[in-house]
Amino acid sequence: MPRLTSTTRRRLWLGVRVILIVLALIITLLPVYWMVNTSLKTQVEVFTSPPTLWPENPTLSNYINLFVRRHLGAYLLNSVVIVGSAVALSLIIGSLAAYSLARFGKARLQEKVNFWVLAPRMIPPVALVVPMFLILQQLGLINKKLGLILVYTAFNLPFVALMMRSFFQEIPVDLEEAAMVDGASRLRSIREIVLPLASPGLVATSIFSLIVTFNEFFFALILTSTPAAATLPVGTAALIGKTQTLYGEMAAAGVVAAVPLVIFALLVQRHLVRGLTMGAVK
Amino acid sequence: MARTLGLGGDRRRNSLPWLLLAPTVLFVGAMTILPLGYSVVTSFQEFPLGQAPAFVGLQNYRNLINDANFLSSLETTLVFTIAATGLEFVLGLGLALLLKQEFPFQGIIRSSLIIPMAIAPVVVGIIWRLLYNADVGLFSFAAQALTGRSVSVLSSATMALPALILVDVWEWTPFMFLLLLAGIQSLPQEPFEAARVDGASAWNIFLHLTMPMLRPVIVVALLIRALDAFTVFDQVFVLTQGGPGTATEVATLMVYKTAFRFSQFGYAASMAVALLVLVMFFSAAITRAFRASV
Repeated sequence: MPRLTSTTRRRLWLGVRVILIVLALIITLLPVYWMVNTSLKTQVEVFTSPPTLWPENPTLSNYINLFVRRHLGAYLLNSVVIVGSAVALSLIIGSLAAYSLARFGKARLQEKVNFWVLAPRMIPPVALVVPMFLILQQLGLINKKLGLILVYTAFNLPFVALMMRSFFQEIPVDLEEAAMVDGASRLRSIREIVLPLASPGLVATSIFSLIVTFNEFFFALILTSTPAAATLPVGTAALIGKTQTLYGEMAAAGVVAAVPLVIFALLVQRHLVRGLTMGAVK
Repeated sequence: MARTLGLGGDRRRNSLPWLLLAPTVLFVGAMTILPLGYSVVTSFQEFPLGQAPAFVGLQNYRNLINDANFLSSLETTLVFTIAATGLEFVLGLGLALLLKQEFPFQGIIRSSLIIPMAIAPVVVGIIWRLLYNADVGLFSFAAQALTGRSVSVLSSATMALPALILVDVWEWTPFMFLLLLAGIQSLPQEPFEAARVDGASAWNIFLHLTMPMLRPVIVVALLIRALDAFTVFDQVFVLTQGGPGTATEVATLMVYKTAFRFSQFGYAASMAVALLVLVMFFSAAITRAFRASV
């Protein structure tokens, strides 16, 4: 093989890169497209072979059926109520802790507190599920929205505390000190200086908690079961058993559960890495 | 580390920091540490649904180490964790290296690549059910066109687990990609420029410069992924329910079935405690191994 000039080599490498990236994009997006495609097909078209690459007679009947006959609206509403309450609660409670961790901690003590806030996050959910079920059963909170709200708030708290701490730490202490030297109370300096500066962080943190909580399935499956309290993932999973070969409806339920979350995730892209590692990598 | 706030008088008598921390600590303690203790207590009990629990000492744990099903579920979980995490790391690193330099449409490409991990695992299960399914699946259609035989991936004892691993790889490679890309892009440029001036090959730069400098990010990424993969549940529940037979019965699924299908809460709790100990042991081992091999 003749020695390649450096320009040819560079061009070759560019070509390989383009091909690999296009391949990665196809592998990533095709399965998602296939779900959307299936959700818009009629039951007859779903079963045609070879499968059609786009719906020939696109229909919304799968979506309509889900809401009219399969309580998808109720599940969706439960999810909104449960996730909304849990995220709001954990954001309020967790931000207080985060502020304290970011501003008052002496280095050594702070490391210790860090550990105790972080440690629960490291406990695999499966280790908690049996006692959680038994406790909530005794409290009469099985298949109640409140039960799941409490559980999700607790799960979100360590995350909110650590993530908000890393945002608070980025706000220079000097700004706050200056305000307090000028006679502002700490509360006022928090309200007028820290919170506005931390608001992008607050938004990112709440969207993150929202994504994780909205997608949670394991605890929701065990703690809720009927349209009175069950969340969208539980309702969707239950649908699989009920619809059997109604793949169109199954796909439509998937689309309903996925679309809002994908949009949210794209909105917080900039903070995605920090969120995924709870502030360990920025 | 950020500077601490110095104002506010005598700090030893200032209770504000603790007041702010208290609700979080109490709430998290009540909802995690307390149940964890309860879990340990339950694991020493025989506790069938609707009956009073009876203390049985170490009986549950003795049964556990002789339970072939539990041991095989551990093995399945381990295979799943190692294969999935390993593949995700290699593919994620490859993608990160491909996309680290400026590239047309970089933003859109990056956004597209991270879509899978924003989708709920249950929905990911649905997506792959539609692909794997024997009557309508795109996958099955392709396989049939190629081999002439109809294949049902998820009901094959040999293919079901690799199929589930593939689903996990599809969903979580973006995570590795994103973390490693962020890591690579935040590395200081000087050592690389110096190496290039010295005429080091791209491969040598990668092996002796990029990889060692990336180590902290790699540890975090591997740890988070391995911990999650070890307790995988959602996709398995949606796709195979542990079948065919027990071919894909991962540990979390077994705890779920033991507690909520067979109502043996004591035995399920002992499994959960055993898993917790294993998880803590492995994460400590991984962290230490990586710190030691600098």
